[in-house]
Amino acid sequence: MGDILQYLSDNSTDVAFYAQTHFLLVLYSVTIATVISLVLALVLHTNQLTPPSWSRSIRAGGQETSLLVASALLTVPSLALFGLLQPIFGYGIVPAIVGLTLYGIYPVLRNTVAGLSSVDPAVLEAARGIGMGPIRRITRIQLPLAWPVVLSGIRVSVLIMVSLAAVAAIVSGIGFGKPLLDGLTRLGGAGALPQVLVGTFAPLLVAAVFEIAFVIVKRLTTSRGIRV
Amino acid sequence: MSETSQVATSDHAGSTARPMIALEGVSKTYPGQDRPAVEELTLEVSEGDIVMLIGPSGCGKTTTLKMMNRLIEPTSGRIILDGDDVTAVNADQLRRRIGYVIQQVGLFPHMSIGENIGMVPKMLGWDRARTAARVDELLDLVGMEPGQYRDRYPRQLSGGQQQRVGVARGLAADPPVMLMDEPFGAIDPITRERLQDEFLEVQRQVAKTICFVTHDLTEAVKLGDRIAIFGAGGRLRQYDTPDEILTNPADEFVAEFIGGGAAVRRLSLLDIARLQLDEVVVSASDSPAGAHAVLAVDDAGKPDRWLHVPGCDEAPPLVTVPLRGTVYDAVDVMLDSRAPLVLVLGDDGAPRGSLRWDAMVGDLRAKGHGL
Repeated sequence: MGDILQYLSDNSTDVAFYAQTHFLLVLYSVTIATVISLVLALVLHTNQLTPPSWSRSIRAGGQETSLLVASALLTVPSLALFGLLQPIFGYGIVPAIVGLTLYGIYPVLRNTVAGLSSVDPAVLEAARGIGMGPIRRITRIQLPLAWPVVLSGIRVSVLIMVSLAAVAAIVSGIGFGKPLLDGLTRLGGAGALPQVLVGTFAPLLVAAVFEIAFVIVKRLTTSRGIRV
Repeated sequence: MSETSQVATSDHAGSTARPMIALEGVSKTYPGQDRPAVEELTLEVSEGDIVMLIGPSGCGKTTTLKMMNRLIEPTSGRIILDGDDVTAVNADQLRRRIGYVIQQVGLFPHMSIGENIGMVPKMLGWDRARTAARVDELLDLVGMEPGQYRDRYPRQLSGGQQQRVGVARGLAADPPVMLMDEPFGAIDPITRERLQDEFLEVQRQVAKTICFVTHDLTEAVKLGDRIAIFGAGGRLRQYDTPDEILTNPADEFVAEFIGGGAAVRRLSLLDIARLQLDEVVVSASDSPAGAHAVLAVDDAGKPDRWLHVPGCDEAPPLVTVPLRGTVYDAVDVMLDSRAPLVLVLGDDGAPRGSLRWDAMVGDLRAKGHGL
């Protein structure tokens, strides 16, 4: 314990930098993953934005394919994925964000699809019956009603990313993965263990910051009428 | 069949000759089905009428209703709204001109009651103040205190209150036509009856043209100015006033559909005010025995008890019914208290006469075709 405190006080600037980069890496990635998932879910799963010429089987195929691909991505070992992305994107923040984003899509997509399809059909019929067009139905009715479920999907994504961002350090060299990897390569050496422990448990703090942010965002963005 | 009966009774009270909404030769065949759900339907709804669409399950009554605002697009035929052919206009804009109320209500759970009701006015570009004033006006109309309910959410209301809001939302932009798909079907019987009474009261004030799908004949008879009875395949079997349908069903199908209780149902169509009442003598003394029923009143002038009723040795219990009521109400109170006659009171509470059980049954039989 004393060793860890010693390490933190000796390297406070570095640790602050690791925390900041870890946090931002996850923030950028989850934002991109959310945008991709929402677009995919809205286009493929509401049957309102797709061109009417698309046949039923294309629609259903598109829905299933998107979920299948997103879930398959989640099964790729993270070390392998970053290893594969490195030759394409080089070193740095870009391959890290790409990799994390790919992992983050599935939880958000899955929950968005579930949230959209859980909207009461009577509510949608009423919306149509009083003359709300497809765009208005999505933005004013479906998405606000699905939002709490979408948000919990984003939350799961963030948790996955906070952990994987440490692995991403093999290509990015930032975040708490940096001290972790450094420490692991010279394990047994002086001060290696505190480095590893900080790299392992400090992401918890990053996750906690996100959790607090989620509570606030949920409170602010969920209508009182559907709050549980 | 429908056309001729319609012309034959077009002089009935409350309907004008002007059709507000009309279907002309409308058919609907759902994809993948070889038989049409609705076939060559022609139906005219006069301005200010309540038309009840009724029939067995799968008869196409809901399909017919939903073609009127093109939630279901007809396969062929024309839809005329207030003289305009609306078969091909923008459907969303059309629907903003037509109120729509459904059985499951479908209030937007994440919006307050005020936002729900104000949705259509907002889409039509009304300014904030006008919309807010309209919301309060409508909440008043459906009997809900605006200050108390405007900012609540749908889940905080009972089923009956939700449907009141549903009706208010349908009326929001003051559309000339309202389409209602079994609006009171999922509500408990006691609340339903109250909502029906309120609905008639609201209609007296707003005088909309209303198409109303129901599967409840009692509701159809109670609310409808006209009833459209559908048979299988969306064929209109009879389109006429409730009285005419109950008295002269057009064919076997209609007769079977309205069933054996037709005579009893007609009682609720018969206003007491249209009957010849027996004279009632108000007396303070105990003595008289004559051809008229004699009523004792208390100090305030309110009817107290019968002193003498012709043909009865002992004075029966006093029961009353308002002059605005129907023969159904009179029969109900008489059966309930085992009284052979009922005192009819005017709105001011003064006795207007009496209805005798035996004479009333005779009257009904005698006037069977006249009323």
